[in-house]
Amino acid sequence: MQQPSKMNEEELVEYFRTQMRTDPDMASAVAAIRTLLEFLRRDKGETILGLRESLKWATDCLTEVDSSVAVSSGGELFLRFISLTSLEHQDLSRCKKVMEERGELFLEKISLSRTKVAKLCHTFIKDGAKILTHSSSRVVLRVLEKAAAEKKRFTVYVTESQPDTAGKQMADALRRINVPVTVVLDAAVGYVLEKVDLVIVGAEGVVESGGIINKIGTYQMAVCSKAHNKPFYVVAESFKFVRLYPLNQQDVPDRFKYKADTLRTVSDLSDEHPMIDYTPPSLITLLFTDLGVLTPSAVSDELIKLYL
Amino acid sequence: MPGADKEADLTERIEAFLADLKRGGCGTGPIRGSGETARETTALLRKVTAQARWSSAGDLMEIIRKEGRRMTAAQPSETTVGNMVLRVLKIIREEYARSRGSSEETDQQESLHKLQHFVHLKANVIEAINELLTELDGTTDNIAMQALEHIHSNEVIMTVGRSRTVEAFLKDAARKRKFHVIVAECAPFCQGHEMATNLSKASIETTVIADAAIFAVMSRVNKVIIGTQTVLANGGLRAVNGTHTVALAARHHSTPLIVCAPMFKLSPQFPNEEDTFHKFVSPHEVLPFTEGEILSKVNVHCPVFDYVPPELITLFISNIGGNAPSYIYRLMSELYHPEDHDL
Repeated sequence: MQQPSKMNEEELVEYFRTQMRTDPDMASAVAAIRTLLEFLRRDKGETILGLRESLKWATDCLTEVDSSVAVSSGGELFLRFISLTSLEHQDLSRCKKVMEERGELFLEKISLSRTKVAKLCHTFIKDGAKILTHSSSRVVLRVLEKAAAEKKRFTVYVTESQPDTAGKQMADALRRINVPVTVVLDAAVGYVLEKVDLVIVGAEGVVESGGIINKIGTYQMAVCSKAHNKPFYVVAESFKFVRLYPLNQQDVPDRFKYKADTLRTVSDLSDEHPMIDYTPPSLITLLFTDLGVLTPSAVSDELIKLYL
Repeated sequence: MPGADKEADLTERIEAFLADLKRGGCGTGPIRGSGETARETTALLRKVTAQARWSSAGDLMEIIRKEGRRMTAAQPSETTVGNMVLRVLKIIREEYARSRGSSEETDQQESLHKLQHFVHLKANVIEAINELLTELDGTTDNIAMQALEHIHSNEVIMTVGRSRTVEAFLKDAARKRKFHVIVAECAPFCQGHEMATNLSKASIETTVIADAAIFAVMSRVNKVIIGTQTVLANGGLRAVNGTHTVALAARHHSTPLIVCAPMFKLSPQFPNEEDTFHKFVSPHEVLPFTEGEILSKVNVHCPVFDYVPPELITLFISNIGGNAPSYIYRLMSELYHPEDHDL
């Protein structure tokens, strides 16, 4: 019987892209982890160290395709999770089997994380609430779907979120579940905040300080919410926790700020517009993750536990 | 048969406790303080552990959860009952893990239902609950012992309403220091009056002020020391109404706000649930029924509790020492297990 051959870079990228196409609702990090699992299954390494090296190489390849923070943190957590068992077996194939089983367990856990987050967060949406959200986040969408399923009445304001107008997709998805939604300009956030009861945003990455990295415009929204004294909630799965500690906007590494294509083609990045910004923990009220409801000061503890 | 008698006795005690809970906690102040409620709950749970029929740790936890749900349903605003149930559940998990000698989380979930080390587990759990009871007995004294570090001579301290913990705290400091206390009367229940009487009996210079004068007087106050009914999971408080006003006035004048709360008041709830959060009592205190004419034209409310956000609080003094509000999440993870948060 012919064994499937080891995946090279093209096959890796192709598999990743196929995963993203077949299930558009899946988070890019989950698709990346599926790809890494498949890579692990087909790998022909002779040593555990070799295996880890090739998995790291695979993660780097995937970050070149999709430069979001979640893919990078998801890949690292996957690697840590599967190596966190006793790999004392004599036989390499047995070790590999254990690692594959752990990988599947990890994948199963994270597929349930959005449901857990929605379960925790929907109780904070009261009947008659007006919610403001930024751009398009599938986790926020799941939370709002759950709240609507619990027969709560609420209205949503979504920023259109230039330059890719992702907010319009969010608005379409909400209209499909019969939630009254209004698309507002990014510049209208301050104008709309006096009508709003709470702000819920997703996150592309959650950093060690308890702050978040998210689509550009989130920081602005957070500052305005603080000025208006509105609660600012963040919903994120735990695989988005990343080992970064930015102190200001410049500290966020360039590889996360711009799209992967831009990083490859453009030589002078100072002319390019960043796609993400950093929101410090002092502006965030609560974070909803599959590890529970956390205050920003609790994030670093949970992060350490994840990465230990 | 002695067995049946004991069981009947136990159910009778639980029913009496539930009836008491339903009646108690009315507007004129709780019939019993939260300390006594906590002690009664723990004593009842110890009896349940000793007398109920269970064969594995999982069974025991299920029984305790069932009783816990009944008790919290009787009086949802009395969170100490739920807190004690969660403490006991954590104790059972810890004793179980210790007896098995393992700390593997995933295994614990399935194996809790297996029949193992039954006799030792029962004795260990009861012993641990006894330790918990001793801890509960000593909480007010532990908090009062820290008073001298925080209160200095010739200071002006403000407090709101009546809190047994704050009373003990101030009395302990008064043994060695001379200071002045301003008590806000805290309408409409006016428990501040009783507090002022008790403090002056301990020869502390006390002044009672109306709630409307809180902001006016705040500029002369050095510290604000208050008690609370519950400490929420985000570090905020559910305290007697009027506390938020004091907290805002203190923040405006940059006066430190110190909360004296024993650990059994720490609850894993977040300030969002509409139903359990507010408790309203008879508006007779606000607008007496004798004002008959007006009553049909006016809506009168008499809420019992206030929410104080964590940004307004400087320090929590509990029986285990002083902590910042941002540290509450850590104390919670030490006291309760995350799986038990929804009873």
